[in-house]
Amino acid sequence: MNAFGLAPLLLIFPVIGVLFNGFVGRQFVDADRKTGEKWSGWFGTMMAFGAFAVAVSLFLSLQAHDYHAEVVYILDWINIPSANFSVPWAMRIDTLSVTMMLVVTGVGTLIHIYAIGYMHGDQDFSRFFAYMNLFLFFMLILVSGSSYLMLFVGWEGVGLCSFLLIGFWFDRVDKNGVWKNANAARKAFVVNRIGDFGMVLAIILTFWAFGSLEFDPVFGTALEMFESGEPLFLFGQEIAFGTVITVITALFLLGATGKSAQIPLYVWLPDAMAGPTPVSALIHAATMVTSGIYLIVRSNVLFEMARLSIGDEMLFGVITTPDLVALVGASTALLAGLIAFTQFDIKGVLAYSTISQLGFMIAAVGMGAYVAGMFHLIMHAFFKALLFMSAGSVIHGMEHGHHHLHDHGDDDFDPQDMRTMGGLRHRMKITSVVYIIGALALAGIVPFAGFWSKDEILAHASANDSWVFTAVYVMLVFAAFSTAFYMGRQLKMVFFSKPRHDAAAHAEESSNLMTYPLIALAGLAVLGGLSNLPHFVKVEQAAHGEAVAHAAPDTFAFGLNYLGLEHWLEHSLDAFELTEEHILHMPHTPTNIQWFVAISSTVLAIFALSLAFFVVYRKKPETAQDPDPLQKTPIWWFSVLPLNTLYMSYFIPAFNRMAKWLAFSFDWTFWHDFVHDRLIRDMFVSFADFTSSVIDQKGVDGIVNGAASATRQLSGLLRRTESGYVRSYALSIFMGAVLLVIYFLFTTAG
Amino acid sequence: MPEITIDSYIILSTTLFIIGALGVLLRRNAIIVFMSIEMMLNAANLLFVAFSRHLGDIDGQVLVFFVITVAAAEVAVGLALIVAIFRTKKNIDIDTLNLMKG
Repeated sequence: MNAFGLAPLLLIFPVIGVLFNGFVGRQFVDADRKTGEKWSGWFGTMMAFGAFAVAVSLFLSLQAHDYHAEVVYILDWINIPSANFSVPWAMRIDTLSVTMMLVVTGVGTLIHIYAIGYMHGDQDFSRFFAYMNLFLFFMLILVSGSSYLMLFVGWEGVGLCSFLLIGFWFDRVDKNGVWKNANAARKAFVVNRIGDFGMVLAIILTFWAFGSLEFDPVFGTALEMFESGEPLFLFGQEIAFGTVITVITALFLLGATGKSAQIPLYVWLPDAMAGPTPVSALIHAATMVTSGIYLIVRSNVLFEMARLSIGDEMLFGVITTPDLVALVGASTALLAGLIAFTQFDIKGVLAYSTISQLGFMIAAVGMGAYVAGMFHLIMHAFFKALLFMSAGSVIHGMEHGHHHLHDHGDDDFDPQDMRTMGGLRHRMKITSVVYIIGALALAGIVPFAGFWSKDEILAHASANDSWVFTAVYVMLVFAAFSTAFYMGRQLKMVFFSKPRHDAAAHAEESSNLMTYPLIALAGLAVLGGLSNLPHFVKVEQAAHGEAVAHAAPDTFAFGLNYLGLEHWLEHSLDAFELTEEHILHMPHTPTNIQWFVAISSTVLAIFALSLAFFVVYRKKPETAQDPDPLQKTPIWWFSVLPLNTLYMSYFIPAFNRMAKWLAFSFDWTFWHDFVHDRLIRDMFVSFADFTSSVIDQKGVDGIVNGAASATRQLSGLLRRTESGYVRSYALSIFMGAVLLVIYFLFTTAG
Repeated sequence: MPEITIDSYIILSTTLFIIGALGVLLRRNAIIVFMSIEMMLNAANLLFVAFSRHLGDIDGQVLVFFVITVAAAEVAVGLALIVAIFRTKKNIDIDTLNLMKG
């Protein structure tokens, strides 16, 4: 069986959804709110589900096809023979991209269902689903593209959708009169431009160095160059191959820090929570923000080559790019985990948590633990989508309780502020249960999904010798500790202790449309870890590759098997194969469970959770107005976000000043007044004047009028001969006759 | 008595022709103008006959018959026109027929 031909449907389904909801969905909703919402929402959901079905069929085809990558050509895109530059629209179907497709469409479908309930009553209901399907379309281009250029199309497309969806309620003004949502959307867009700048440079450099942008030729050429060890001839000089690969991977890292919200570009993600909660769950937790990790995993061969650069080839001569990636990820994980302590917004905690977990993944892929990074990516997609959507359910419940109390509603009430919550486990039973499951999975408690994936990353860090790995290990352990702490704090503040506001005391459980997807995701958050369990019994292993070969059964399936994900993904990770051939030296991930790491991290997590339950909101404060006792501790120093402050106090004013200068001086005075009015308009007007008064009135009209008046004057002369007297005509006949006679006389006589 | 030669006929017919031409150009009475045209035609006839005789060639006399025929037709048409003009204008002064004046 082979369903690779179905691959274009993966993109076509979401496009149909976009067209339906973009053009006719609105009419359905306007005509009849109730059934219209059903049409619009379920149509979008079905398109997402259709894409999921295609992804599943591709998954089965890959299994039947012995996991060999398949490139499905769709059509020619760019073809410049003179530059030897050709990029087709083609989809690369391999185990890595299919994994991403399954996550994107699977979690996406659940979130679509949830959104039907969450967006109920919104005036732009169908616009929301159009954007969501558009996002799916671009995300699927990103993960399925067979070249860096297609990846970049998806990369920019999801950035656009992120902008549109963060600013979905662009007309909302907060109580200070600030356009919070629109500002957040712009911030995300502008910050991402910095990362995209790195992406563009990396792609250009890739083409210059390797002469192609499609993955297979790029990696193949890079490998040949790596093996020959000869320098490249770029920019008129010879450059060592190691330097080129270091620069390319460093620029990829810049792109990844933008999209995946790492230091220094993470500042956009917390603000992105201004968007509707399903958006936070789908785009800003589960899928889009992981595209940086996908990029690095996809380029694993390049990163592993960069790992072997030495001396001057390294970045600033001190560090290789993968090490830098690992350090950036680990420090982001730690910093964001600490900042999350100080958040009062229920989604703010989850936003910093997402940054922190993305840091885990980036650190993992930087250390060469690509499978562990992808594993954590998938698990994180499950439990973070679950947490965000449960948080949305909590917000809904709080709003409901608030409306129940105050028909008019006081404007100061913020349904997302955890200080106003408390004791919600009695009011929202399903939500609290699934939230606790998600929180335990995130905190890394056995046997939930997060434990296995986080533990694999920690085990990888602990099992390799290098100061970078040690530093990353220490930072990640602290980050894991803080993860458990802030989740414990959040659980305590939201679901336990006593209600601190009347709204919390009257909150209500959300509709089934919202809770059922939560239950499904909770199941995944519990069982997801089974997809890549380590060996509990020691397996003989001489080298990394051999152990894998021994352990791999003939017909293993994705999931429910030891190291299932690893066996599945290794078919897409060329670095594995090259490591076996001793060309590369990828750090290996232990396949056995590392008892020290597992037990210590579990103990730490449980300790942090209990500590949080013990210290946070134990007796005081009793009302929402009282300050949090934690605010007096040094922990609170992290609430002053250094990078965000920098962004707010320097970057935005500078940007605004530049924008103002561009608007008034450049655009208005120079471009509009001078270039447009003086140069273009005046020149055109005077040219038009010239053509109308000189060429038309004097030239063309002169010829026509001159012909007329010349005819008139000539006829005035001629009419005098027409006297009307017969005699004068007779005379002229005589004269003519006389002239004739004279003529004949002269001609014949001579 | 001087001998009558071909010159005499030429002089006579030229004189008749000039009288006829002057009559056409100067007179206003349509009948007179008509008669003047007849005079010019007959001056030409006279010259044809004189040269025919002089050169011994009968062709000239044949042509005279044609001229007489044409003149007869012309008189018929012309007199009919004059009658028609008289009926409309109540006179036959050709200077009053100046509708074609430019």
